[in-house]
Amino acid sequence: MNNRNKKNKTLTIAYLFPTALILLVFIIAPIIYTFYLSFFNWNLIAPTKDFVGLENYFSIFTDPVNRKILLNTVFYILLLLFLNFLVPYFISIIVKFFISKMQTAYKIIFFIPSLFSLVVGAMLFSWIMNPVSGPVAFFMRGLGLTLPNWTNSGAMAVVVICLITNWKVFGYNFVLLLTGLGSVPQNIIDATKMDSIPKWRMIWDIVLPLNKSIAFYVLILTIVQGLQYVFTPISVITQGGPYYGSSNALYHTYLNAFVLYKTGNASALAIVTFVIFLVLLYLEIKFVEGRTNRYE
Amino acid sequence: MNKFRESGWHFLLIVICLTLLLPVLFMISNSFKTLQDSYHSMLQLIPTHPTFSNYLTLDKQINLFRIVWNTFFMATIVTLGKIITGLLAAYAFKYFSFKGKKFFYFAFISTIFVPFTVVMIPNFLVISKLNLLNTALGVALPQLCDATGIMLFLKAMDKIPNSLIESVRIDDIPSYKILKDIVVPILRPNIISIGAIFFINSWNEYVWPTLILKDKNSFTLPLALQNYISSEGGTNFPLAMALSTIMIIVPLLIYLIFQRYILNSISSSGLK
Repeated sequence: MNNRNKKNKTLTIAYLFPTALILLVFIIAPIIYTFYLSFFNWNLIAPTKDFVGLENYFSIFTDPVNRKILLNTVFYILLLLFLNFLVPYFISIIVKFFISKMQTAYKIIFFIPSLFSLVVGAMLFSWIMNPVSGPVAFFMRGLGLTLPNWTNSGAMAVVVICLITNWKVFGYNFVLLLTGLGSVPQNIIDATKMDSIPKWRMIWDIVLPLNKSIAFYVLILTIVQGLQYVFTPISVITQGGPYYGSSNALYHTYLNAFVLYKTGNASALAIVTFVIFLVLLYLEIKFVEGRTNRYE
Repeated sequence: MNKFRESGWHFLLIVICLTLLLPVLFMISNSFKTLQDSYHSMLQLIPTHPTFSNYLTLDKQINLFRIVWNTFFMATIVTLGKIITGLLAAYAFKYFSFKGKKFFYFAFISTIFVPFTVVMIPNFLVISKLNLLNTALGVALPQLCDATGIMLFLKAMDKIPNSLIESVRIDDIPSYKILKDIVVPILRPNIISIGAIFFINSWNEYVWPTLILKDKNSFTLPLALQNYISSEGGTNFPLAMALSTIMIIVPLLIYLIFQRYILNSISSSGLK
């Protein structure tokens, strides 16, 4: 018996070892090292690093460019929540409760763009929205209007960039939310039908609360994944411009690290982003009880 | 009355389908037009004078075969790595009891919440120290495990009756044999669909490869395409669209074949 326990222990280690090793080397150690780098000024190459204490953190909240970046990040989050969470949620409710056929067909079609790279999405939207040769400009000319050059306006660029990620993740989030709605017990829904309670009431009072945990999961995913997804169209189309107008915390971290070689500023900004994501993780555990507590 | 309202909803849903798909259809169609045609008849779905010229130009300007191979090779390493590490870890979590199980599971799953910016500088330094810049292995190495994969494999293992595993374990059959001869065959559809998702994601990956792959010979498809998109305007769209069309064929084919399994796996990733 003892022998078997011992064998089990070595086996457990052997099975978890590959994952644990990669996790340790490429996630945990890097987080610690980034935290360490955030207290220094460095340029990624120089043999010495200057210790500057908390200066890099102070500059996040005092430097006007950084403040603009943080504000943009909030703007991105709000827009992503609307486009990539609320809209697919609304549509999944329509598909689940308000139509009686073609549900699977919609699911299959909506999912298709999520198979494609965001670089393709960025290319497509820069064509569609091209102020000179794109189809939108073409239609607007027909109406006697001109499409403004949206890459010259931070706010408009942010909207277009969010639309690109919406094109990609709409179907993915739709499938997740529809599955959640499918797990609401049918007998509860039937019971409300018998009592002739209006559909919208039934959805608001019964379905939404019962579907809370998966909806919250998608909501958090929308923020965490969305902020990383917008990186690609930012990098391909605007490079954060005009004057940081379409940049966000993640793109600015990349810019600081690999374009401006200000490793300290980049690291501090990365740590702040990480802390925000950790807060979201904490909220997820609190709200979506059971998901991560599989082994309690 | 109800029928009427339902048609209204169908109308909305069909509009959404068109909004999502028409850009892709126009992309494919414009990739077979000359630059001039694409400008003058951009919204004509069937080209009047279809031409392969964009594809031929691409073939002259870049080493297409090399780029497709790089993408395929990198995505294959990542996919195989994620499947192997994921199956092993999931098996341990499912069938072994050990101290700190809850902690380890939590640590693995939490990695979903780690933004890439917080690991990219050290990982870049490590990969360049290992002399792996401009190699597929350099891109793949940090991504050889995947928390979502572990979660999905664990859920799939729930469908294997516990009594089955218990009965063979009593016979002292080594666990790698149980994994290889019982678990893997039963989970084959899950492994295929989860693998398909890994492969497609890796095929499309942009952010991390841009840091590692600087040499044009090591480019993957997304990086090659990015080179054809100019931020100052002046993108040659038919050319960029031809490259995009080449790029979407593989994910589309995978989806056509495994559509049902893929959607099932995505669905189950959201459930408890």
